[in-house]
Amino acid sequence: MATLTVVEIGVYALAATIYLGFLLGLRRSADKVGRLVLALALVLHFGDIGARCIHRVNPISSTPEAMSLVAFLIAAGYFLATLRYRLAAAGAFAVPAALAVLVLARVVPAEADAPAMGSLGRAHVLLASIGVAIFALAAVLAFLYLLEDRQLKRKQFGRVIGQGTPLDTLDRLALRCVSIGFPIFTVAIVTGAMWVARLGLLRDATALRPEYLFAVATWVAFGILLVARVGAGWRGRRAAWLTLGGFGGAMLVLATYFLRHAA
Amino acid sequence: MGSSAIDVLVIGVSHRTAPVAMRERLAVVPEAVGAMLAELAALPAVREAALISTCNRVEIYAAVEDADRAAQGLAEALASRAGVTSLELGAHLYERRDTEAVQHLFRVASSLDSLVLGEPQILGQTKQAHEAAVRGGSAGAVLNACFQRAFRVARRVRRETAIARNPVSVSSVAIELVRQVFGDFAGRQVLVVGAGKMSELAARTLRTHGATLTVTNRTRARADELARRFGATASDWSDLTGALTRADIVIASTGAQRPVLTHVMLTQVQRARRGRPLFLLDIAVPRDVEPEAGQLSGVYLADIDNLQKVADEHREGRKSEAADAEAIVEQEVGRFVKAWRGRQLAPTVTALRAHVLGVAQAEASRISATMPGLGERERRALLDLADGIAKKLLHAPQMALRNDDTDGLSLVTAVQRLFELQVATATASEPESEDDDAPAARDLDDQKVAGR
Repeated sequence: MATLTVVEIGVYALAATIYLGFLLGLRRSADKVGRLVLALALVLHFGDIGARCIHRVNPISSTPEAMSLVAFLIAAGYFLATLRYRLAAAGAFAVPAALAVLVLARVVPAEADAPAMGSLGRAHVLLASIGVAIFALAAVLAFLYLLEDRQLKRKQFGRVIGQGTPLDTLDRLALRCVSIGFPIFTVAIVTGAMWVARLGLLRDATALRPEYLFAVATWVAFGILLVARVGAGWRGRRAAWLTLGGFGGAMLVLATYFLRHAA
Repeated sequence: MGSSAIDVLVIGVSHRTAPVAMRERLAVVPEAVGAMLAELAALPAVREAALISTCNRVEIYAAVEDADRAAQGLAEALASRAGVTSLELGAHLYERRDTEAVQHLFRVASSLDSLVLGEPQILGQTKQAHEAAVRGGSAGAVLNACFQRAFRVARRVRRETAIARNPVSVSSVAIELVRQVFGDFAGRQVLVVGAGKMSELAARTLRTHGATLTVTNRTRARADELARRFGATASDWSDLTGALTRADIVIASTGAQRPVLTHVMLTQVQRARRGRPLFLLDIAVPRDVEPEAGQLSGVYLADIDNLQKVADEHREGRKSEAADAEAIVEQEVGRFVKAWRGRQLAPTVTALRAHVLGVAQAEASRISATMPGLGERERRALLDLADGIAKKLLHAPQMALRNDDTDGLSLVTAVQRLFELQVATATASEPESEDDDAPAARDLDDQKVAGR
């Protein structure tokens, strides 16, 4: 592993520790220090991606590279959100998530038999990466929502006060993430299907890989969420669970990729 | 300058030492503060005076020339004001002098001596007390320095400890909980069901944060009256479910013996609200909301016991923060006294050097005048000799002055008396930081070098 990669992982780990410390009540404030360390990690990560581009390894050339891009987008998206909202508690989930994805990306070797990308393939990987990163942020917000909701329901008021983001803000931000991520993910699925069709991988039913199904399930889950939200006013706990479910689908897609490459 | 580190004293009563009946008698209304300060500042041995008068304390801070005489005069002034004998008042009165008086002021401003630890009002009240003394001309260099530093210490305590972070009153806990669900209150609809004292407080606070209030009551006339008082609109009791559907926050405090907001009613309401969050603050005893309603999706329910429990937890939390706050106060008192002493030191050292060197030069000149055969070189050597001896002799006292940390009769005072030095009393403003003693220390160092 390159030195830059090791350092960037180390700095992400430090940021994750700071945010976790805040969530566990060990630190009074994570806003300033956590954000500063995270900013440093992002700069290093960006530099790493740039250096790989110079060596003709672009971020959408393979699954691990795309995963690194997803990690970067999760961390960057979270960082941008903290500039406007008090989201220190969310950092305890978003930053470790980005770190985990990055570590995974850096330990899994690139696929040896990667199909030719072409413009369709590149568009699919790029859009899917952006979509998954946005869904990951939505999932973090939804998870935090469920956590706070549970504390309020259990009357653990002392733990809730001063901890951070109001429920209403979490709900609205998660919805905003899904509304932005959904169209991007939709185009990613369409381009993915066209790419697969062009490669001739869909000639018979046995060629149907499980990740296609998981991807469609993810899309359906988020689609239902958006329709139910607008049509039936779904919000709160139900919306949060569905967001987590949809994101779980996206994770299954990635897991199948990795399992196949690891096998 | 007197005989101690800082010639300041505080004398007064507080919630810790005097019952409310005594505090009431001593309390000074704002309009009377000016006259009272003039009276206090005119007492013998009192140079400066400031007065803090709140419902929990009445304290006089004074810069004094003779602490015993001043304390007696101030105690008598307080006793005559309260219409009691000095003996009666004496049982409740406390007095702190010098460093302890400074520490007391820092603790008071930092809300470490307050009934509710960490409450924010006392800092404002201390500032008002200082402003009144400045306006009335009874605050001078000493009290200005003490009070200004006290404000900074209080800010530091609030910044570096969590002593004032979490709310400790039931209504402020309620406000913070609601904030945790809705973020801000601008445009939120608050429904007040019934009207108790506590609901009035919470409702008014929410309104100042931009929420819109609606009041409902079983009797319409009462609802109208409450609406007028709260600056709210009244809603008919028969439209309770409609009002609930429109509300974001409900404050319930009726005198009803059975719950008025039932699980069934709130299930319907929540369906009509399409899951929008609803916060129910039930501060009635017996309770107004069926506890099961708190399990409905999007409904959050806090009753008076829940709120009280959080307030108690926070109160305990503040106590554990108080140790850190006390350490800060302790450190700041040390810095302040050191800086203050530094400022007192510089003029004394300058006067001492001027005195000793002046004597040496004068004697050398006198001797050289009696020896007409001396050439210019010899005369110069004689003057240098006198100068050199004087500086060598000054070195040890200067260092001793600098390192003096006695609290009683300080070396500064001793030197002033021994050499009959005329030193202008210090300082127009607060010693700014722990480095503020640097100028005095630098003076000494410069002079030490010059003396070699």
